[in-house]
Amino acid sequence: MTDKKGYRAGLQSRAILIGREKVSRKAHVLDFEIERAEAMSRPLPGQFYHVDCGGGREHLLRRPLSVHGITGSEKGAPVIRFMVEAVGWGTEKLCSLEPGTGVGLLGPLGHWFTPVERGRALLVSGGIGIAPLFFLASEMDRKGMGYDLFAGFREGEEYYPALSDLKGGIQVYTDDGTLGSKGLVSEGAVLRIKGDSYYTVFACGPEAMMAVVAVACERSGVACQVSLTSRMACGLGLCRGCVREGKGGRNLCVCAEGPVFDSRDVKWKE
Amino acid sequence: MERVGMDLSVDLAGIKLKNPILLASGTAGYGVELSSVIELSRVGGVILKSVTGKPRKGNPSPRIWETASGMLNSVGLENMGIDALIGEVLPELSGLGVPIIASIAADTVDEYARLAAVLNGATGVSAVEVNVSCPNVEKGGIHFGIDAEATRAVASAARSSTELPLFVKLSAVVADISEVALAAQAGGASGLSLINTVPGLAVDPVSRRPRLGGVTGGLSGPAIKPIALKAVWDCYRTTGLPIIGGGGIYDVDDVLEFLIAGAAAVSVGTVTFTDPAGALDIIETLPGALSALGVESPGELTGSLRV
Repeated sequence: MTDKKGYRAGLQSRAILIGREKVSRKAHVLDFEIERAEAMSRPLPGQFYHVDCGGGREHLLRRPLSVHGITGSEKGAPVIRFMVEAVGWGTEKLCSLEPGTGVGLLGPLGHWFTPVERGRALLVSGGIGIAPLFFLASEMDRKGMGYDLFAGFREGEEYYPALSDLKGGIQVYTDDGTLGSKGLVSEGAVLRIKGDSYYTVFACGPEAMMAVVAVACERSGVACQVSLTSRMACGLGLCRGCVREGKGGRNLCVCAEGPVFDSRDVKWKE
Repeated sequence: MERVGMDLSVDLAGIKLKNPILLASGTAGYGVELSSVIELSRVGGVILKSVTGKPRKGNPSPRIWETASGMLNSVGLENMGIDALIGEVLPELSGLGVPIIASIAADTVDEYARLAAVLNGATGVSAVEVNVSCPNVEKGGIHFGIDAEATRAVASAARSSTELPLFVKLSAVVADISEVALAAQAGGASGLSLINTVPGLAVDPVSRRPRLGGVTGGLSGPAIKPIALKAVWDCYRTTGLPIIGGGGIYDVDDVLEFLIAGAAAVSVGTVTFTDPAGALDIIETLPGALSALGVESPGELTGSLRV
């Protein structure tokens, strides 16, 4: 029922970094080989792992990272892939980890994207929000499901080259026009949500971007699932630290009830 | 090497704990959530998240900010309310085989009395922690705990409403904590729980806004450990009451310090966020750590500070 350390089955406790690659100006892709693979629950797109960045008692909190993909190692062990942008102490530490390093890693946690079995889906990402949506797109490719992916970046140097491996229709936006269409990905997405018959929209990115997409979906009667981000402590629903206000005064616990929510449940911040 | 099978049990104001490691209020939810992640029955006990008379939504987000060797939180006593605790949580916890300490918080003395009375008949509750020291609410909370007379009044009201052991949880951010501790004792506290988080602030220099939605928060983690240890030592000397000591416990060595300073049991909190099985690691390593100091039980260390 539990391992030596006292964790119940299905949750990982340790992984080894077996590869790290800088994939754009700011983002790294990290591959972790899972120990105790036999006890692993396969992560679903939208789920996250709570990652110990090795801060000891100086930096106490884990960092929640959405799963970016699953592969396999040469040994045949499952490998969990994350995409990380260095924005603070923990993510900078992760982006400089040497392969071979062991890392505490708890997951998979949280509520996932629920793909639709019929119709065409639209995926809308802003910046590092591509991390979980790329995983969703890969899984949809694997299942032969149709989708378009609109990916927004601040500039061309932030573009993630692996997007060209996906089978869906890819449309890139940059704020400065150095790659793809110039402008906000949310604006491009809104035009398509109004005009096309998407069955579901999946969005992950900055709050303002998701808010615009969510409002457009609501007006057009299209279902929309968003992956929210929040400062977390426990990642397990214990501390209520990641909670934000939802519609109708309801509290949304991002780690345990999310990070993926029906956009109609979210109260967007100004 | 470790002595296999050392008896780690302690008597805490009449409650028999199989080991002195408790999970601190607010860091273990209502126990149920954590039991799906770790083997909760191995801990000495769980102090549940504080409940109030009615459910509370808590403070605006963000509620968490990491600081040097610590973290600030501004959860603001978000909780399900005592009715849901009694009706939904306690029945589920009863099968876990671990002592449960319920924690209560209120705006008025009468409300503390009412909550203590409701818990008196509740199944599966071994003791009550009276939280008079939450820094994240406008009314009640720390406003009781910084005042000796108000603390006495709350302790006394709770005492007359329940037969369960009562632990009054104090704030160290007072001029003289032993004065407040003596007042809690005079009101009928069976023991003390020390310490609550320390009020703090973090600022984003770019926006010049506070990092927390509630503006200020409560600091926890290793950063507050020396403050907590002094509070335990002061209160142990002045009251002699059984003390649940905690504040920044990260590993077994920290536990030894709290016991030596006067704690009968300890509460581990923020380390559960670093590692949900952190308390289990501590329990695993405690026998070896006690043996290394030449003692045969946690109780032998309690209050053994040599000065």
